[in-house]
Amino acid sequence: MASSTPFVIETHGLSKTYKGVQALKPLDLYVQQNSICGFLGPNGAGKTTTIKLLLGLARPTGGSGRVFGRDIEQENDEIRHRVGYLSQDPRFYEYMTARETLRFTARFFYEGPKAEIESRVAETLALVGLADKADRPIKGFSGGERQRLGIAQAQVNYPDLLILDEPAASLDPIGRRDVLEVLSRLRKHTTIFYSTHILDDVQRVSDTVVILNKGALVAQGPIEELLARGQAAVFTLTIKGDSASVEARLRSQPWVTGMEEMSRNGRVCWQIRVSDPEVAEAELVPLALAGGGVTVCEFGCKVQNLEDVFLSIVKENNHER
Amino acid sequence: MSANATLLVPSRSRGWRMGLANMLDKEMGAFWRTRRWWVQCLIALLLLNGSLALNLKGGQRVDNAGLNFLVIAALGVPVAAISLAQDSILGERHSGTAAWVLSKPLRRPAYVLAKTIAHGLGLLVAWIVLPGAVAYFQLASPTGGQLSALRIAGIMGLDYLNLLFYLTLALMLATFFNGRGPVLGIALVLAWSGPMPFISEPIQKYVPWLYDVLPWRLLIDFNYNRPLAGYLANGQPLPTVVPIIATALWCVLFTGVAIWRISREEF
Repeated sequence: MASSTPFVIETHGLSKTYKGVQALKPLDLYVQQNSICGFLGPNGAGKTTTIKLLLGLARPTGGSGRVFGRDIEQENDEIRHRVGYLSQDPRFYEYMTARETLRFTARFFYEGPKAEIESRVAETLALVGLADKADRPIKGFSGGERQRLGIAQAQVNYPDLLILDEPAASLDPIGRRDVLEVLSRLRKHTTIFYSTHILDDVQRVSDTVVILNKGALVAQGPIEELLARGQAAVFTLTIKGDSASVEARLRSQPWVTGMEEMSRNGRVCWQIRVSDPEVAEAELVPLALAGGGVTVCEFGCKVQNLEDVFLSIVKENNHER
Repeated sequence: MSANATLLVPSRSRGWRMGLANMLDKEMGAFWRTRRWWVQCLIALLLLNGSLALNLKGGQRVDNAGLNFLVIAALGVPVAAISLAQDSILGERHSGTAAWVLSKPLRRPAYVLAKTIAHGLGLLVAWIVLPGAVAYFQLASPTGGQLSALRIAGIMGLDYLNLLFYLTLALMLATFFNGRGPVLGIALVLAWSGPMPFISEPIQKYVPWLYDVLPWRLLIDFNYNRPLAGYLANGQPLPTVVPIIATALWCVLFTGVAIWRISREEF
């Protein structure tokens, strides 16, 4: 690393305005070395804008950013030598084959020797499962094959930082699994910063998560911390019987912050959000049974997954605005 | 990770040349390693030498046939340059390939220069050297070998300067506009307004100096002044070199502006 910073990516108040619209509000972002950081947010949250600013494809309106300790505006050439990038909708020269595309990409990073470049290209094609299609023109490639090629070109230089914008977007489940495997394999050597909508994937491979909403940072931290944030605050209760009176009784409790009916099929299942998990754990079942004529079929603390946390954070954030 | 990773020699080029060699190689490949080269050569031969052959076969005098060759070159060669150049940058900006390559260690000046050089060389062979050489043999046989190859080379040099003007102009315009309409429109109007009598007459009347600072006088001139190519064809000294110098300067300026503009482009 060029500086002593432990962060590969570090931004301070980085912002971007397009024609009067603030696409990215001042962002303080920190991504540690050799981590896999999932970059989440709804469409239009500012994820791609952030990535483009880091790569020098767009200029910040305010703030600053450093990658490998180097300024993203002044020293972007040096940054790009050490970064691999896959765009959201990867486009290549259609007349080239996959091998030619990787050779072309590799030559931006290496002068030679030719044999070594060819060997690296072949190795990368094999890594993404395109070895058998290496000499076919790209114009005949499917969306999934293009995405694999995109991942291959992003890491043909064994980058210190891999920035991937929706790497699994157009892949089938097997392709997605392969991509996650590649990411896991690369984590020993590189830092991976990737945006995605597939929260299950993030939970499987990421160490840290950054969540943007409407151009602003709403959460950032290790994935365990984020998952623990909402843990035990949501209970599920399934009853058979007079659900209206149970619902009224539960809603009247000051520590019940929300109730959401999940299903009604002879039984009623609620997801109950509470402010005091300990009281809730002790009181919910007795309260449900208090009026009589009700059977509790199921009761438990809901295990939060990243999707729940993400949706709750974004929802919370939308209400605040 | 590969065991031979250390054997690879990292690229050392920095500054404005960063990525130039690789990008230039790719651009040359896009011309010479695809069907583009023979398509361009074929169109040039059919248009320029085909019309010359028809004129000669129709009994036209060699000097008249030569003049017609220059008229078609003056009108046709810019079209080839403009259509190739505008698609080169505009097409890549639209498709997203420009953003892709510029996310690699490639400087934006190198991106523009690679395109300018590769297209300039490709078009030189397809639209200048090949038709010029064929035209020499076409015109040499009826004159009994009296035609000077040096004069033809000089005329083709003017033809090439004319081509470079429209190539660099279209490349520059493609960095400013998002649509093909303005790029093609501006470049083609400029290319044809000099030679076309109904447009050139008012220009001659009100702003005649434009003929000295634009490439219009290089190949043909339907009005008062004889084109510089005519002087060369007759073996006479050129009355002025101002249009030649001005056109060359325009090419440099257009390239500089294209680099300046693309350096400010956001993808």
